[in-house]
Amino acid sequence: MQQRDSLFNTLLVATVLCVVCSLAVSGAAVALRPRQEANEKLDQQKNILDATGLAIGEYGVQASMLDMDQITELNGWISEKLVDLETGQYLEASADELGKYDMLEAASGSDTSVSIDNRTYNIGEPSRPKIMKVFFVEEPGSNRISQVVLPVFGKGLWGTLYGYLAVRSDLNTIQGLTFYQHKETPGLGGEVDNPSWKAQWEGVKLFDESGAPAAMVAKGPAPTGDQYAVDGLSGATITSRGVTNLLRYWASDDAYGPYLDTLSNELASSTEGAN
Amino acid sequence: MKALRDVLDKVHPWFAKGGPLEVAYPMYEALDTFLYTPGEVAEGSTHLRDGIDLKRMMITVVMALVPITLFGMWNVGYQANTAIAAMEDAGQRYTLDWHYTIHQAIGFTNDASNPADNFVLGLIHFLPIYIVCMFVGGHVELVFSVLRGHEINEGFLVTGLLFPLTLPPTIPLWQVAVGIAFGVIVAKEVFGGTGRNFLNVALTSRAFLYFAYAGQISGDKVWTAVDGYSGATALGKMAGAGPAPEGATESAWVYSMVDVADAGNAEAISASLNSTLMNSFLGVIPGSIGETSTLLCMLGAGILIATGIGSWRIMAGVVGGVIGTTLLLNAVGSETNPMFEVPFWWHLAIGGLSFGLVYMATDPVSASMTDKGKWYYGILIGFMTVLIRVVNPAFPEGIMLAVLFGNVFAPLIDYFVVQANVRRRVARYATT
Amino acid sequence: MSRKASDVLVDPLVNNNPIALQILGICSALAVTSKMETSLVMSLAVIAVTACSNLAVSAIRNFIPSSIRIIVQMVVIASLVIVVDQILKAYLFDISKQLSVFVGLIITNCIVMGRAEGFAMKNGAGLSFFDGIGNGLGYGLVLMFVAFFRELFGNGTLFGIEIFQLDRNGGWYNPNNLMLLPPSAFFLIGLMIWLIRVWKPEQIEEA
Repeated sequence: MQQRDSLFNTLLVATVLCVVCSLAVSGAAVALRPRQEANEKLDQQKNILDATGLAIGEYGVQASMLDMDQITELNGWISEKLVDLETGQYLEASADELGKYDMLEAASGSDTSVSIDNRTYNIGEPSRPKIMKVFFVEEPGSNRISQVVLPVFGKGLWGTLYGYLAVRSDLNTIQGLTFYQHKETPGLGGEVDNPSWKAQWEGVKLFDESGAPAAMVAKGPAPTGDQYAVDGLSGATITSRGVTNLLRYWASDDAYGPYLDTLSNELASSTEGAN
Repeated sequence: MKALRDVLDKVHPWFAKGGPLEVAYPMYEALDTFLYTPGEVAEGSTHLRDGIDLKRMMITVVMALVPITLFGMWNVGYQANTAIAAMEDAGQRYTLDWHYTIHQAIGFTNDASNPADNFVLGLIHFLPIYIVCMFVGGHVELVFSVLRGHEINEGFLVTGLLFPLTLPPTIPLWQVAVGIAFGVIVAKEVFGGTGRNFLNVALTSRAFLYFAYAGQISGDKVWTAVDGYSGATALGKMAGAGPAPEGATESAWVYSMVDVADAGNAEAISASLNSTLMNSFLGVIPGSIGETSTLLCMLGAGILIATGIGSWRIMAGVVGGVIGTTLLLNAVGSETNPMFEVPFWWHLAIGGLSFGLVYMATDPVSASMTDKGKWYYGILIGFMTVLIRVVNPAFPEGIMLAVLFGNVFAPLIDYFVVQANVRRRVARYATT
Repeated sequence: MSRKASDVLVDPLVNNNPIALQILGICSALAVTSKMETSLVMSLAVIAVTACSNLAVSAIRNFIPSSIRIIVQMVVIASLVIVVDQILKAYLFDISKQLSVFVGLIITNCIVMGRAEGFAMKNGAGLSFFDGIGNGLGYGLVLMFVAFFRELFGNGTLFGIEIFQLDRNGGWYNPNNLMLLPPSAFFLIGLMIWLIRVWKPEQIEEA
């Protein structure tokens, strides 16, 4: 027993244990890394498929219920580009750069972000990335863009909501809005995840006639015939207001506004070309 | 009366130990002592200080609640009838439920200027809530008394009246039942029954409903008893205040309280604000059944203090805590949160603060026992109430959670007060 | 040691349940029990970690110097938890996302550490392994009990399958939101302990 508690033995056991454990941990991490990365990518793809309504439209189920082949197939319809929000122009980027782009990192970096100062649509975030990654849906054979998917984020009650806003090719009609990460109260603000609430966004108009952002979450039930509003989340005034603000902010000229102008010209010219 | 006494005496052997209905003794006992003075007298060397007992204490609290209950019923009807008139003027659709069927069947119309009309409509809303609450809560208590062989006592009379008064008139009856059952079991029976609960039972029930069915009960919408009418309580409006309009001279919360059409006109704003403040003080605003009128709560406070049942120290502590905290927050200020600028007289007038501080915070079982402890306890509640109202974005009202919070701390406060006293006396003894 | 494998396996289920009697591991029982699915995965993760850490610690117990034994147990447990976390991220991504930090927090779960120090250091490897499984099962049982009520009454579903149709989806059931909040697990665990102690009065502590 004396032997076991000696200094030498203590050091020996500690060393051997550390080596064995670190081997086990790093072995697991390295071996499983590719699978985990694939999972993360897949998760993002599923969220986009949900926002665009492709999963429901093609197979009638949520994207989480699809199998790998179906996701790969639908994902083939989607392409991505980087956009400089200030100028509204695309940035040339290799596939590698596209893959590496990380919105959260860009939003916090001092030279990749700009501070937000918008009193009208306060999304409660200090800054946003200068560059955002947007996605396009092109149905096979049609050769034209049918939807554009814009990443959006903003404060709700307890934390930031991160989501995707899918807009149809008229750049005014919302196709869908999903949030893939949020901290809202389950059952109240957390109902932003409820499929039947999300389904209301389809067909809602993003801008009013004067071109100002108008889409909103109503207080209480949306007035019948109002093409800009969906029902409020009951018991979640602040989450509802947060969603309204973040939609309007990102649609405004401070955010995607310039880019949407560029895109609308591009779509117009491509339609003419097709004629 | 002799006949009744005889009947009770005759059936007594059935319920006594060894009788066939032994398990139902608590029920017999409850009826007997309700009708007659208990037969038992104190044995041994007792010190009689006062003729007050649990029963008289509870009855006094119920008496102090009567004005508020009567006014609450009138107000429920008044708010509903006013809302109906407003909606008719605006040509909006509304539906009337079974309450109105009864109301009309006994010959009333919806006329807000007729006090009897208002009162009866309120009564039709209040009575079912009260009956469900007494029935369910009473039976839960009965089951536990029978199982444990306790006596049923009067504690539930007060809880059973306080709880409905904290509810909005629109609450579904099944929620009343679930809420009171939860409160009686979890806050009281689990800890051993009347007098052993460390949380206020009525408030625990209310808090349960608040978190369980927050979508309907958190105070940010529809508490007027008309289907289809939507409006927030005063606190809900303030908490939900958006940014002030362009070129505003007043703070943003002011605009949430006044008519939008008047915004920009300083005189109209101040007149409108004064009338809302006055209405809040009198209680002619939408809200839970019993909590709207600060004036009548003050009357109730007078009764409780005069009879020595409610502690004036706790009430003064709460008021002091509210005023102090509000002044502090006013001084600190905030750019993004307009609630920081609400003055203390508004805090005292709106919401359930006055009701909570008079009837809930002073509950002798769950409050601090020591005189000094009562001050600390009251101040803590006042402080927490304002803090929750102002700083917490999710909860417009704070008094309910603040009182429960105070309940949790009351034994600790007492402990420190007693210890301080012990230390002081030890020190004094040591020097002499 | 006269104790049999079947004893150490069954005993922690009710008679000596780590949560209900020893009140250990409450934190994750509050955090992950809003759904049956996450609770099940969490239970399995804890069973795996407790069993394996008991096995490993017991196997090397005669070599561990007493001065660093807690650190050694900690390192073993932490490594196992990281491996489990990596596996979940690779094969059960959705659930691991919902469990977020709570898989990692198994490291701090007192049950694992308690069994390693309290049992595995004194008993043979085989017996310790079964003790680990037994305690993990005891923990899992409570989690599933709590999750059953929370998911059923809070969301109207069990394992994501609709049992009560919610009113906001056109059904009749008005869900109890309190059940979706972590404090409800406190009430449920408390009520469960009450029930167990009515059934087995010998568990009642002296006041």
